[in-house]
Amino acid sequence: MNEIWTSIRRTPYQSLSAFLILFFTLFLSLMLFVSLTFLYSTLSYLETKPQVTVYFQNKTPENQIFKVRDELLSSGKVLNIKYISKNEAFNIYKQLNKDNPLLLEMVSADILPPSLEIYAKKPVYLPEIAEYLKKQGDIDEVQYEKDIVDKLLVLTNTIRKIALIFFSYLILMSIVVLTTTILFKIALKESEIILLKLIGATNFYIRKPYIIESLFLGIAASVLSFGIFSLLALYFNPFLQSYLKGISSLSVNVFNYQLIIWPFNYIFFTIVFISTSIFGAIIATVASYIATNKYLKV
Amino acid sequence: MIAFDKVTKKFPLGNTALNDVSFEIDDNQFVFLVGPSGAGKTSILKMITQELKPTSGLIIIDDFDITDKNFSQKINLRRKIGIIFQDFKVLIDKNVFENIAVSLKVIGADYSLIKSEVKRVLEIVGLAKKGMVFPLQLSAGELQRVAIARAVIGDRNIILADEPTGNLDPKTSWDIMKIFKKLEGKRTIIIATHNTDIVNSFQKRVLALKEGTIIKDLRKGGYDL
Repeated sequence: MNEIWTSIRRTPYQSLSAFLILFFTLFLSLMLFVSLTFLYSTLSYLETKPQVTVYFQNKTPENQIFKVRDELLSSGKVLNIKYISKNEAFNIYKQLNKDNPLLLEMVSADILPPSLEIYAKKPVYLPEIAEYLKKQGDIDEVQYEKDIVDKLLVLTNTIRKIALIFFSYLILMSIVVLTTTILFKIALKESEIILLKLIGATNFYIRKPYIIESLFLGIAASVLSFGIFSLLALYFNPFLQSYLKGISSLSVNVFNYQLIIWPFNYIFFTIVFISTSIFGAIIATVASYIATNKYLKV
Repeated sequence: MIAFDKVTKKFPLGNTALNDVSFEIDDNQFVFLVGPSGAGKTSILKMITQELKPTSGLIIIDDFDITDKNFSQKINLRRKIGIIFQDFKVLIDKNVFENIAVSLKVIGADYSLIKSEVKRVLEIVGLAKKGMVFPLQLSAGELQRVAIARAVIGDRNIILADEPTGNLDPKTSWDIMKIFKKLEGKRTIIIATHNTDIVNSFQKRVLALKEGTIIKDLRKGGYDL
């Protein structure tokens, strides 16, 4: 720790620029990561909303409808299926037309078909489900918003691709800029590195102090980035609560673990902190490794 | 033993640093490399430290053929060599003790050994009371003493000095050479120099170079080109 502090003190401007670059990169990445995670989970949430509605013929017995429902549920492609019986359909109709007694008089439960509202796990499954239903007997009509589903699919795929490209660009840029900054710092020690090589130092011996210092700066920048992010999250929490009203929770699937990101919780914050620290440590280490390479060829 | 056998070094732009150079230096021998600037003195030293590779020829150091493409003992061999430069190359952000200790630290020596060895060599070079002083507070002669201490500490049995008195006044140069005299017979010492008086006075082996070729190899010679 003493050696790190001494090195920072002896090259304060280079250390400060390396720290600031790391901080801005990590803070930007962190904000981008959280924003994209929110966007991603919101899209995932919205993706579950489009539905296929299948109307059965009036005479279709309930056990036939339940058979279709059970087959769909066992396919693994369906998130949820809601059965709307004739009576429930009539109640919905009454609720919708409560201000129009004339319409209410004209309709009874007998003429309303039973139906299933099917929510798919992913929108890509909706056309398959619709096709499957059309092949079943006793079906009166299958409805689903093909255009909306297609547009949503295009939108989500585009956003994911853009996010991936932007992240890769950000990581690459931060490594390039950080490598250059560390190179400036190391350039001041060129003759020391050459001397160490000539007296028999291993590459690891020479690299170690630079990597440790970069790691220290990377982790310090992560802590600062996370601190500012936490303050911003606390500040904007009431606004988000009103904005996301109606959405009970947002989550993303991380290695088969459903990570809840909204409402904010300790697990999410811990994972964000650990990820930022690891990311900071990795880019700082990679950058200092590349930077020292230049002088180790003696 | 250090042996050069028909060593030639040509640079990509065509200039020749060494041309068919052959010589042998026994263990613990004291040798001066003399010659005008560009004669090839520094190239010989750089080939021993493996900073330069010969274009052709063979170099043997302590039974290792360092020109062999499969030679993998570069680090270990460098740990046997102490180097002294004309411009001292001391680390300005480290004190005298740390500057000398670095020679042992790179080989992973433990702190108690480093402490006792640094103390011992500080006495040899006459800087026993200046261990905690930083280079900016030292004279040129003292800086060269630090460089010598760094080169001789530990098991470094080959000492290479490239113009060690080049930046020093005559009196300090003699003081520095007295330190080399103390080490005589205990290490192989190769000194590249222009200093006629010193070479003449020491009466040690002299390898005289001119335009990359050895023109004289005098067993007890002076500076005679």
